[in-house]
Amino acid sequence: MNSPAHSSRCSRRRFLLRGAAGTAAAVVAGRQRGRTAGSGDTNPYAYSVGVHEKTDPALVKYVERRRIDLPWKEARRLAVTPQGNLLVAAGQRLGEVTPDGSAVREVPMAAPLRCVAVAADGTIYAGFRAHLEVFEADGKRRATWEKSPERSWFTGIAVTDDAVFAADAGARVILRHDLAGQVTARIGERDKDRDIPGFVLPSPYLDVEWHPDGLLRVNNPGRHRVEFYTPDGALEFAWGRPTMAIEGFSGCCNPVNLAVLSDGRLVTCEKGLPRVKVYSAHGDFECVVAGTEMFPENAQAGAGDGFGDGTRASLDAVVGPEDRIYILDTVTAQIHVMERKPTANS
Amino acid sequence: MPSLNQPSSPVSRRDFLRSGARIAGMTGAGALLGLMAQRAGAVTHVWQIDPAKCVRCGRCATDCVLEQSAVKCVHTHAICGYCELCTGYFEPEPNALNTGAENQLCPTAAIIRKFIEDPYYEYVIDEQLCIGCGKCVEGCNRFGNGSLYLQVRHDRCVNCNECSIARVCAGDAFRRVPVDHPYLLKTSH
Ligand code: SF4
Ligand code: SF4
Ligand code: SF4
Repeated sequence: MNSPAHSSRCSRRRFLLRGAAGTAAAVVAGRQRGRTAGSGDTNPYAYSVGVHEKTDPALVKYVERRRIDLPWKEARRLAVTPQGNLLVAAGQRLGEVTPDGSAVREVPMAAPLRCVAVAADGTIYAGFRAHLEVFEADGKRRATWEKSPERSWFTGIAVTDDAVFAADAGARVILRHDLAGQVTARIGERDKDRDIPGFVLPSPYLDVEWHPDGLLRVNNPGRHRVEFYTPDGALEFAWGRPTMAIEGFSGCCNPVNLAVLSDGRLVTCEKGLPRVKVYSAHGDFECVVAGTEMFPENAQAGAGDGFGDGTRASLDAVVGPEDRIYILDTVTAQIHVMERKPTANS
Repeated sequence: MPSLNQPSSPVSRRDFLRSGARIAGMTGAGALLGLMAQRAGAVTHVWQIDPAKCVRCGRCATDCVLEQSAVKCVHTHAICGYCELCTGYFEPEPNALNTGAENQLCPTAAIIRKFIEDPYYEYVIDEQLCIGCGKCVEGCNRFGNGSLYLQVRHDRCVNCNECSIARVCAGDAFRRVPVDHPYLLKTSH
């Protein structure tokens, strides 16, 4: 089944979304016209990556079960609660929806929320531009951690039982904090002696994920690779290569966001050619979760179509119960709920 | 927001200042144009492209009344990622990340690629060669920070009453702007 089973009934402000979707569609139609226009009917100077916008169906091993229209159009990042609900960082609010798309609640924030993560006990860690805040599971603020003195720009968070890892795209570092908010290690900074090349971030996309195998996964988009670090900051290994082809990372700077499956395999999200793929922990390309065809508005959106702060049209992904993959399209504010296709003998 | 990838060496800081000066220069040229126009008592508005509306249709290269278009690519260095793999400079699938002609996207090789510090490169437009085709603009906008974009250069444009590109512009991106503010420069993404 290729189309979603049904759309959710996130009813509130739906008419607004419809209006926004209409505008987005008009913009996209304009862009598509532009790309085929020119003197005569075709643009002799067209920039074409069209061949890479089509995915070999044999490589797609996931099926879309549902599409959730979020009521928050500034939706930027996702996290999964211990109950399997989805938390959405969306402008000056933290939203929560059930896996079937019903809106549960909305917690107002004092500033635009840029990333979010949830601990096993339900504690919520929220990343703002230059500081982190900690919330109880019920949304009550527990602590505001000290503002970073650096040119910070927090874009990703991962939580373990005793540490909070915050990806600071501005300072190009992963900061390890203890649970009281003290910085206890700096990870991923350029260090010749430790053979660490440093993060190259043309735009603010630095993500960090944790897996019980004991290694952090961090994207290094300007180097088109994923790097694996110990919690102490030793770079264990890295993989990835630049190519528009499906097995690599496209454009100037990808992947932009990551998620981890329960067995440690990696889910990667790309912008420009919006697509989501699965790799083994050691970097073997395994399959496509969702190809560019699934995100037409996102693919046509340009650098100016983001949040006006350096981020732009992109995708985020999280892994929920039963290794279901939830993909957030920041252009349409939709979540695509993806499940592994049943195999022939299942 | 300025790009995160700003290289930190003194060389590159100088380059940033210079790129700032380039943009200031364009604005200054506009003011001069405005002054001259006011003295001549004639032109009050000139044509310009709104970068947010341009859809890179190619007509800027093909439809200007001038033999070589008055539209050129400009570069706001402050929002550039200084990417090693600049998708405005390189073909979508380059053989190698070097200046070999076969790897370049620009049909006239009008972009100059200069090493700054590992792994950062600066990209500068050679306006003598640029034909305003917008191919690099699309590459940069699609994958990069959108720091490359098209502008009508007023040292070339003859300010036709009815701009022949504006008539066919697929993005409806041309508009009249005051002669003392003749550029619509990007300062953020
Ligand atoms: S793709 Fe755009 S942002 Fe990146 S280096 Fe090239 S011109 Fe700059
Ligand atoms: S006004 Fe005339 S010279 Fe200027 S860009 Fe348009 S067609 Fe070219
Ligand atoms: S004609 Fe309009 S849309 Fe086409 S390249 Fe020029 S400004 Fe952009």
